[in-house]
This record gives sequence, C-alpha cells and structure tokens, in this order.
Amino acid sequence: MLAACGGYPVPHDQLSAAQAEVKGAEVGGANENPKAALHVKLAKDQIAIAEKQMNDGDNEEAERTLIRAQADADLALALAKEAKAQNDAAEASEQVGKLRKEMSK
Amino acid sequence: MMRRSTRFVSICVSGLYAAGPALIAASLMACGGAAVPPQELLDARSAYAEAAKGPAADLAPAQLDTAKQSLQTAQDNFDKDGPDQKTKDLAYVAQRRAQLAAAEGGREKAERMRAASDKDLKNTQAQGLENYAKTKEALASEKAARVEAERKAAIALASLAEIAKVKEESRGVVITLSGSVLFATGKSDLLPIAKEKLNQVAKALTDQGFKAIVVQGYTDSVGSATDNEALSMRRAQSVRDYLVTRGVPSEKATAEGKGASNPVADNKTADGRAENRRVEIVVTPEK
Repeated sequence: MLAACGGYPVPHDQLSAAQAEVKGAEVGGANENPKAALHVKLAKDQIAIAEKQMNDGDNEEAERTLIRAQADADLALALAKEAKAQNDAAEASEQVGKLRKEMSK
Repeated sequence: MMRRSTRFVSICVSGLYAAGPALIAASLMACGGAAVPPQELLDARSAYAEAAKGPAADLAPAQLDTAKQSLQTAQDNFDKDGPDQKTKDLAYVAQRRAQLAAAEGGREKAERMRAASDKDLKNTQAQGLENYAKTKEALASEKAARVEAERKAAIALASLAEIAKVKEESRGVVITLSGSVLFATGKSDLLPIAKEKLNQVAKALTDQGFKAIVVQGYTDSVGSATDNEALSMRRAQSVRDYLVTRGVPSEKATAEGKGASNPVADNKTADGRAENRRVEIVVTPEK
C-alpha cells in the first residue's frame, strides 16, 4: 500500500516506452495479422489501465502494467514479422513449384 | 485471453485498493504454507515448454533464454511472496517472452526456408535456360536434317526422271522403266545397261526412304497369257532381286507378274507394244 501513499516515482519513461513500442508494432504490420493484432490491443488496453493507475497514484502497479504492455507490444511485432516471413517463404516455394511444373511440360 | 487478463488487472486494482490486505490475509490463512500457483504462472510455464520444443531452441536460443530467466524470476517471486499481483505480472511477462521466442524461432525458420527456395528458384531457372537452349539446338539440327533429307530426295527424284518415267499416282510414286532397256527379247536376265539404271533407282530409293516397293512386270499382248504372266513375273523378280543387292531392304520389296494387263499404249502398233513391255516400281512413301 506504499503506492497509494504516493512514495513511488511516476513511471513516465515506461509509459512512453510502451507507447513507442505499440507504434513500432503497428508500423511493423502487426494489425495485418490477427494474432499480432490481439497483442497490440492487449498492450493498448494495459496502457489505458496504467494511465488510470497513475491518475490514482498507484505508480508501482502502473509500472508493472506498463511492463506487461511492453511485453505484448514486443510480442505483436515478433508475430507480425514471423507471419510475413512465413508468407514470403510460402510464396517463394510456390514460385519454385510453378517453374518446375512449367519446365516439365 | 484479452478479456481474462483485463479482468485480472481490474480485480487486482480493486483488490489492492479496497479489500487487498484483508484478502491476502485470508488467503494466507486458508492455504497455510503451500500456495496454489496463479493461472499466469501456469500459462508461462506451458508457453515456455512449448517454445523450447519448437524451432526457437535452435534458431532463437537467446530469446528463449530470456524467456527462461523471466519465468525463473516469476517463479522466485511466487516462492517468496505467493500468488500476489507481482507474481502474476512477472508470469504474464514471462509468458509473452516465451511466445516471442517461439515467434522469433518461427520467423528464422521461415526465412531459412525462403532462402532455400530462392536458391532453388535460381538453380531451376538456370536449368530451364539450359534446357531451352538445348531444345532450341535440337530443333535446329532436326530441321537441318529434314532440309537435307528433302534436298537429297529431290535430287534422287530428279536423277530418276532422266532415266525413267516418274509419276505420282494414288497408289504411290510409280517409276516406269522400259522393257527394251532392261531385257533382251523373251529373256529375264538384266542387260548391263539395265544394271546401271537400276543402280540409280536403288540409290534414289535408299536416299529418299520409303515404306514398301512393289516391282510389277508387264508384257505386250503378243503370245499366250500364261507365257506372258510367267515372263513378266520372272522379269519383275529379277529387277526386285537386283535392287535388293543394291541396298533396298528385302523385306520391303516384292515382285508381281502382271502379264499383258493394264496396257499403257495400243498393242496394235510396234511403238505401242514396246511401251507396254515395261517394269513399274510402285513406291509407297514413308508417311
């Protein structure tokens, strides 16, 4: 209950870091992949909760909520990259298959 | 997933805020020493186990190690303080780190597959170009061979036209040789000049290629039909046999004695009779 008393520093840095990482995930195409988009949303929801906690003076809780948000944003970007790589790999293999078929004619 | 974690957060907020101390005290009393791990910690453990089984073990070991450390931190906090909010938060982060390691492993694997496919594509394209060049070359030499064969056939036919009558009929190409240049009267032995002419015929036939030939002997209408047929047969046979000695495949060549049938000219005149005494070679073309 120390947080309630206001002794814990306000996690401004964590907040901007979390917001930046959400942006990064979105720029990285996270919203185009359903799994990644879910974690973008989780990150945003938790940032909103953290802001509320900060308003209420629960800075320590807010900091941990923001770390959760960052973890979700990181994951969203990784999932987006994975999906893109898998898509590219499937396309490349399809191209090879097409060419082989063409050549065996 | 989203709804559940949001709910957890809201519970923890109200819990810590309003009824926190009372709840913690109550749960400590109820559980005694052995606290039940929170769902977050269970999720984090299984997410890590799953990631460790996947491609991340080989392809994203650093991320997997980070996930392992996060999980250990959450576990340590749970062992020390029980299933409090901090344990849940640490476990939540550990779960995400494990999922991230799995995703990085998956991405790395996909990138390697893609690189392999790209290489494959390049090789296949190179192979395709090579095949194309070969096919083109083969087609060109095939065409050259065909042109050469046609040229030879044309020359062969032209050379034949000098020594014999060559006519294209529905039954095939008919080469007509006059009887007087081939045989002495009443004989079926080839004259020396006949052999020279037949050499040319054999050469033309073997140059051009064919499916089959029928050598037909004909006489004029003088004399008995039986004699004429026998003579025409002997003459056809001797021409056929000679052609075979000059390289015409024997299984492709047959002989027929037609006697005085199918006259090509009037048997009442000497010229007409001379024209009717003849040997026809009917050539069935190759295709």
